[in-house]
Amino acid sequence: MSHEQPEYDPLAEPGPLEEQLVAYLDGELDEQGIAQIEHLLATDPKVRETLLRLDRAWSLLDRLDRMRLDEQFTRTTVEMVTVAAEEDVRQWEQEVPRRRRRRWLVGGMGLLGATVAGFLMVAVLRPDPDESLLQDLPVLEDLDELRQIDDIKFLQLLYEEGLFAKDAADEA
Amino acid sequence: MVGIALAVGESSARRQALRDPDVRLMLEVRDDSAAAFEELMLRYQGRALTVLEHLVGDRDQAEDLTQEVFLRVYRARKSYVPGAKFSTWLFTIVNNVASNALRTRIRRREVRLRSPDASSSGPIVMERAVQASSGQMPARQLDKAEMRDVVRLALASLNERQRMAVLLSKFEEMSYADIAESMQLSPQAVKSLLSRARVNLREVLEPYLEHGDRPASASWEPPLREDQHEDD
Repeated sequence: MSHEQPEYDPLAEPGPLEEQLVAYLDGELDEQGIAQIEHLLATDPKVRETLLRLDRAWSLLDRLDRMRLDEQFTRTTVEMVTVAAEEDVRQWEQEVPRRRRRRWLVGGMGLLGATVAGFLMVAVLRPDPDESLLQDLPVLEDLDELRQIDDIKFLQLLYEEGLFAKDAADEA
Repeated sequence: MVGIALAVGESSARRQALRDPDVRLMLEVRDDSAAAFEELMLRYQGRALTVLEHLVGDRDQAEDLTQEVFLRVYRARKSYVPGAKFSTWLFTIVNNVASNALRTRIRRREVRLRSPDASSSGPIVMERAVQASSGQMPARQLDKAEMRDVVRLALASLNERQRMAVLLSKFEEMSYADIAESMQLSPQAVKSLLSRARVNLREVLEPYLEHGDRPASASWEPPLREDQHEDD
């Protein structure tokens, strides 16, 4: 007997006919496919021979052993599964305190984040009522003197001259 | 309308799955029934072992892998959802466990030992096994034993995917669709795979049947590649 490695040809391809013949043997063809193959089988002896050869090799697989296991194996496996299940429960129980701490941490950070986001949203969306007062502060401080001027255009002229800005700078 | 059709299709598949007595057993396992788990084991352990043993070529390893399969079944019980036959789901796990084992074997570059005598452990050169047995068995039994060894060698000459498809088709009588689901391939890929496998088997076995030319020794393995796409 030769100990040489048989040639392995990765490009060896069974043809489409062989594929159909195998599917026919496996009962996987539709009615049309069956009719086509059976027509070929009836008319072409080479196709019949190919089918027989494929089937013969396949039938030889019946010589292979079917394995049997006894109840001892079942018992051993069930014991192994029980041990593994107990180990899983033990790990889960160890994991629970860790998970609880993690949950608290995540929850706390979430709350903090929500608080900050809420604060920022309010700051952006809700105008500060004091803001307008601050802007008008220079006017309010000189309100008594300004009331004495009746002409608004004159006041605008003074504003454009920067009179009010200079006063604010002086006071600062 | 499409959504309704899909929902109807899904519930029909579920109803079909629930008719499978093994699916019903697995649902009891999901509810932590030890008796149901044991019953499933008794029904399937031999079948899983048969496929695994012919895949990995080693009985002891195959037994370990069989236990691994059922451990996975148990661990997955809470997330089990019946959507197909139970056997299809189980052999998906078998396929995965076997693939992992074979991949590990490739990585470890296990070397099959050529043992000088038939009693040593591990895969034995076929010719020596036949020679050893010929002195101990009557001729009729020798033919059977020799034929069995030749067929085992022929099966071992297939690549992993072809072997798996052949075993599921032959031993489990699974349809192309079920094999495809177990092996995560398309049905067309399975059709192609089985076609190649049968042709390869024929090419290996015919010389023996016609001329008594035995296949190559058990020490030979076809070049194993982790991603053999030509079978897709």
